[in-house]
Amino acid sequence: MEHEGDLLERKLSRDDLLKLAAATGGAGLLAGRTGIADAARAHFAAESGRLQVLDWAGYGNDGGQSMFAAYVKKYPKNKPQFTYMTNEADALAKIHAGLKPDLFRPYAGWVKYFATSGLVQPWTPKLIKNFKHLNPFMIKAGQYNGKQYGIPADWGFDAILYRSDKVKPKSRSWGLLFDDRYRDRIAWYDDPVLPLIVAGLYYRFKDPWNQTDAQLKKSQKLLMAKKPRMIWSSETDMDAAFASGDIWIAWAWPADYWTMKGKKLKVVYMRPKEKPISWVGMFMLLKGSSRPTLAHAYVDAWSSAKSGKWLEDNYGYGHSNTLARPSSSDLLRALQLDNPRAVTLPNAIFDRDVPRRALYAKLWDEVKAS
Amino acid sequence: MRLDLTTPGLLGLPLGWLAAFFVVPIAIVAAYSFDVYSLNPGPHGFALTAWHDFLHSSVYLRLFWKSVKLSLIVSAVVVALAYPVAYYLALSSTKRKYVLLLLLIAPFLTSYLLRVLAWKVILGNEGVLNSFFVWVGLRSPDHPISQLLYSRFAVMLVLVYVWVPFVALPIFVSLESLDRRLLEAACDLGASRRVAFLRVTLPLSLPGVIAAFLFVFIPTVGEFVTPSLVGGTSGYLYGNQIVDLFQTGFPDWETGSVLALFLLLVVAAFTGVFARFLQVRQVA
Repeated sequence: MEHEGDLLERKLSRDDLLKLAAATGGAGLLAGRTGIADAARAHFAAESGRLQVLDWAGYGNDGGQSMFAAYVKKYPKNKPQFTYMTNEADALAKIHAGLKPDLFRPYAGWVKYFATSGLVQPWTPKLIKNFKHLNPFMIKAGQYNGKQYGIPADWGFDAILYRSDKVKPKSRSWGLLFDDRYRDRIAWYDDPVLPLIVAGLYYRFKDPWNQTDAQLKKSQKLLMAKKPRMIWSSETDMDAAFASGDIWIAWAWPADYWTMKGKKLKVVYMRPKEKPISWVGMFMLLKGSSRPTLAHAYVDAWSSAKSGKWLEDNYGYGHSNTLARPSSSDLLRALQLDNPRAVTLPNAIFDRDVPRRALYAKLWDEVKAS
Repeated sequence: MRLDLTTPGLLGLPLGWLAAFFVVPIAIVAAYSFDVYSLNPGPHGFALTAWHDFLHSSVYLRLFWKSVKLSLIVSAVVVALAYPVAYYLALSSTKRKYVLLLLLIAPFLTSYLLRVLAWKVILGNEGVLNSFFVWVGLRSPDHPISQLLYSRFAVMLVLVYVWVPFVALPIFVSLESLDRRLLEAACDLGASRRVAFLRVTLPLSLPGVIAAFLFVFIPTVGEFVTPSLVGGTSGYLYGNQIVDLFQTGFPDWETGSVLALFLLLVVAAFTGVFARFLQVRQVA
């Protein structure tokens, strides 16, 4: 069966060539091979309307324009139109509710879930010029059953941000999120599975991503007992609370550390001894997308070293393009951006699929409701 | 005989609107709650599992009760605060009372979200209130009152603030339509102002008060925007759980539908009881 997204895999038959030649007034044939390629691209790129992108806040026309500027320049009539997601579950709910984006950007732990959900289709890496520069480990993390369902984009960590002038941690541990001394000053991240995983890491369970019933019960009990003042789903809300001094300890991402440093706050981005959780954003192509070529072009723009450098400089996240380097040597060191395996052990534990995701989510809902 | 189409003509549009945008969506939600519709692929059919799980879940029911309690308190406080304002505006003979009424509802001219967010600036650790307490020496800068924001108190305070002007209106209408001769008669018969208020004004304005109470209770019991902005974990309410089940958390539309329908049923029953025993229709 021919795949919808497999555009370059198609062989141009003699008939196709003749049709293309006719369509382009013979220009393609006269101009040689390059002309044919252009004509083919034009033929396949007969996609109309604005590219529909479901992405995280801050990555659309609300500040992230530099990431896809090359795309907009190339396809000014198909500018991206954004809908925002607060997490992958939110994206899933939006898609189930009838939203039809062409592409969206969940994180690596969801690749298997979405690949097996029937909602997405594999990419055609050959259509992405910058694909060859992307981190091989991250590329592999985007694969399922040998097909490239996720194109790696940004990457970073789930770790702990705290005010070093206000907080004295007992140890370098995830336990700081459960420290009763600062309970009124702590913020956790609202995710259906990650809080239970962090509790599992704190307890040093063998596989926090696939805990037994007894382990889950213990993790849930810990979360219920130590529920902090704030559980954030909007990064902006958390940043505002942290910056205003309402929160001193937060489950945070590198960008938050970067933001608080920018505000001249005395902050530490702690790497817990149980290891931070690392993640990679994965662009995924929705099945039935009517703009697959444009989606590839959009991801290609995102994947360039130029976009990567901009992301690192401005958001403090890593980028999957191995050629991208930030201006700041501090950031280079902090994120180990020159280490191609920065997201893996011994540096961090790479996020992965949660087989009992629905159960984790239900337990987490109960924590919030408790 | 000529067919009179006036009534069906007048009622057709609103009834059609209600059917399309109220009855049908509720039927769809009900279908999800009984697993007739499902997000999950594979075989499914009518099942009471989600209802059974909900009714046997102490967590959800406790959260519901927490929301009901909070909403009852907010409604009572709002009515208590709005009543004197409405009383003054309705019974005073000042010519400016409609100007004052307009001022009362002036906050509605600004965004709801903006008004709620403004409270964050007031209630935060380094906000207006805490800064004031530090300035007058009631608190040290290192020990502000942190319970002001991201707490149940913050949710109640903001809800009260948001609803007072709105609730003053039905009470105002009820009081303004009061037959003043009754008050004069009460005074002529020797009643003090207090007694006249308690035995004449208050009972006659009670339908307006009940309507006002319901105006607050019904939306606040399922409220989720204010708690998510200023409530923190202790201000997390039943409405937030419904949103989480449908959206923020891993989608569980079956349970979310059950929670939503349960709320609808309780609110409908509550409204029915009030309407039946306290004759809210008199307000009209």
